[in-house]
Amino acid sequence: MTEYSLDKIRNIGITAHIDAGKTTTTERILFYTGMSHRIGEVHDGNTTTDYMDQERERGITITSAAVTCEWKDTRINIIDTPGHIDFNIEVNRSLRVLDGAVFIIEGVAGVQPQSETNWRLADRYNVPRIIFINKLDRTGADFYRAFATLKEKLDIVALPLQLPIGIEDQFVGVIDLVEMKAIVWEGGELGAKFHDEPIPEAMLEQAKEYRQTLLDTALSVDDAAMEEYFDKGDVAVETLKRCIKAGAISGAFRPVLCGTAFKNKGVQPLLDAVIDYLPSPVDVPGISVAAEEGEDETLDRRRIKADVKAPFAGLAFKIINDKYGTLTFVRVYAGTLKSSETVMNTTKGHRERIGRMFQMHADKRVEIKEVHAGDIAAFVGLKDTGTGDTLADASDPVVLERMAFPVPVIDISVEPKTKESVEKMTLGLQKLAGEDPSLRLRTDQETGQTILSGMGELHLEIIIDRLKREYGVEANIGAPQVAYRETISRPHTEIYTHKKQTGGSGQFAEVKIVFEPLERNAGIVFENKVVGGSVPREYIPAVEKGIRVQAETGVLAGFPTVDFKYTLVDGKYHDVDSSALAFEIAAKACFRDGMKKASPIILEPIMDVEVTTPQDHVGDVVGDLNRRRGMIQNQDSSGSTIIVRAHIPLKEMFGYISDLRSMTKGRASFTMQFHHYDPVPRNIADEIMSKSA
Amino acid sequence: MPASRPRWTRLHWMRGRVEETENGGRTLEWIGCDDAGAPIARVVRVQGPLFSGWRCYRAVALDSDARIVELRPPPPEGAGWLACVGGQVVGRAAQPLAAVRTAEAALTQG
Repeated sequence: MTEYSLDKIRNIGITAHIDAGKTTTTERILFYTGMSHRIGEVHDGNTTTDYMDQERERGITITSAAVTCEWKDTRINIIDTPGHIDFNIEVNRSLRVLDGAVFIIEGVAGVQPQSETNWRLADRYNVPRIIFINKLDRTGADFYRAFATLKEKLDIVALPLQLPIGIEDQFVGVIDLVEMKAIVWEGGELGAKFHDEPIPEAMLEQAKEYRQTLLDTALSVDDAAMEEYFDKGDVAVETLKRCIKAGAISGAFRPVLCGTAFKNKGVQPLLDAVIDYLPSPVDVPGISVAAEEGEDETLDRRRIKADVKAPFAGLAFKIINDKYGTLTFVRVYAGTLKSSETVMNTTKGHRERIGRMFQMHADKRVEIKEVHAGDIAAFVGLKDTGTGDTLADASDPVVLERMAFPVPVIDISVEPKTKESVEKMTLGLQKLAGEDPSLRLRTDQETGQTILSGMGELHLEIIIDRLKREYGVEANIGAPQVAYRETISRPHTEIYTHKKQTGGSGQFAEVKIVFEPLERNAGIVFENKVVGGSVPREYIPAVEKGIRVQAETGVLAGFPTVDFKYTLVDGKYHDVDSSALAFEIAAKACFRDGMKKASPIILEPIMDVEVTTPQDHVGDVVGDLNRRRGMIQNQDSSGSTIIVRAHIPLKEMFGYISDLRSMTKGRASFTMQFHHYDPVPRNIADEIMSKSA
Repeated sequence: MPASRPRWTRLHWMRGRVEETENGGRTLEWIGCDDAGAPIARVVRVQGPLFSGWRCYRAVALDSDARIVELRPPPPEGAGWLACVGGQVVGRAAQPLAAVRTAEAALTQG
């Protein structure tokens, strides 16, 4: 790998709503930077970053792919991410390790739901970003309307650095407001040929107005630049670029560019903007170390800054299993590491020896001998390192901030078609779940079935398809089921005594446990308040384990129980008859009895649904959403289409697409994503319980 | 880009009060002086309660340590900076440069 100084590296992600043009833009970037000698197209199934069979067949991105290119002596590591909400984990983990992002917004529809979701994720990780309003060649494209949605939906200060020249099929180039010139593409050579020219007379006044806004906003982040402006009546291009970069990194405003990647216009200035305005690893404050247990998470903590001479620190953010073994993708934050060296997995507390190292280019790999701060590379040979684990030098064993993963909302049961495939299926599913933290695998304790939980029907469909193609397992799958959860709605204290004497040594354990409800997404919390040794210390973990295992099967309908706290306050033991097993059994029984008395309820996933429909069908659509127990949140118009947003239980959304199509003659579309869990109404709860009985 | 100097030669602007931050100072006030160096206008970042006509916006701490503070009700759009001439508020703007223009425009109009 050619060595670049840290200020000549950019680690960026490309993210957007489905079909906004992420992969198309990435493909042009690879072509203009000389990394590929032809432009692949999503609809032809021959793009570099969509290399999985399923991606090429379906024309969508499923997994994030890393590619590297060079532009103006700067190395750009790019991660192209999926747009479909079912694969949001890929966006999540990519944004976690990137220094900057390009958000692509569709020039016709403006900001769409998945863009909003990804934007909030980027907010969570403080990722500096620039916006590219794409598809300005499309019928109905409107730069200014799409621009307005940035403020409306994302509530940001969006700052145009360019204006389009022409629109739809008349779109020929952009006005560069920083240098006050027009950039016009000549049409030939796949967009590689373009030239500068004076701003068209008809747009000069408008360009001056927008440039004044640009100066007003950009210079406000730098007092020295303001003084330069007061002195000279303008500022140097370098000064303005410095201010735009400072504002983009601090988030004071978000620079906006435009073009049409598919028609090969606007991509080269976007690459310039990546270098000029997105940060290098040394421009960002560095990654925080994780809070210690019990430490206030909002407090400022030590940051690991990019420095090749510091002790090594990196974060494993993605795992891939292929025929050559397990590839662990690592973002290196500090230090240098050579292949065959040993590091600590500080999350799990063991050592890992690095086998080989690769720089990845989608599914292709180039072996490298060492990695440095700022790099993204794939390691082979790690035995037990999962997504979100920190790898660090033993001399400074830091644990970096953990990653948060989304909650799966759909379950399916899976069983192999032949008995011989049982082992292969289990192994395959375990490996797939190891790659994808938004996929959960469990065994239903009552039926013995393997239950696969994922983010949506498409997500699970792809997993089953991969199981077949990559592991050769044909599986029967059950109909998708809603991933209900159970919880409690009031505190309760339960005492349970487990006593058994059937000849030989007996079993004795008594536990007194307080069960309390917690807020949503709080998970399961255990506290030990035993004093005076009424439950010996060695049996406490057995009590904790017993409850956690039993919580997988709730008392109402057998769904996992979540969002509660259990406190072990007292108990009794016997010198001879007590054992860890006895305490585990007592804890399980205590859970079963106690939960029933703590007003248990069933929770269901509520989805945030956005339906885009022509005006003439809006009545039918809204009526239908109401029939599905939907709560309409708002209704917006965008030209002649109406966008209806509602919160609807997932249970009511199965098969919605075909109903919507028949209702609107195929003219409406919808997107949905998980929003929150809510208690189910009494009648539905009864229905669920009678089915499970 | 031709400089639009004539609009900006009326006053000479310099930094006034500065707030010390982790990353150095942040200017809270720009002072506009005439050719003789006498201060005649100011552009000030809105910090505390903001009076806008008959309404008063107050900063409300949302947590016990006042780490999160919100102006309630929210101030009007673009009211981050006040342009003042001779002690009188002549306009508001979202950015200091726009407020500078507002102050100079007010002076031009007399």
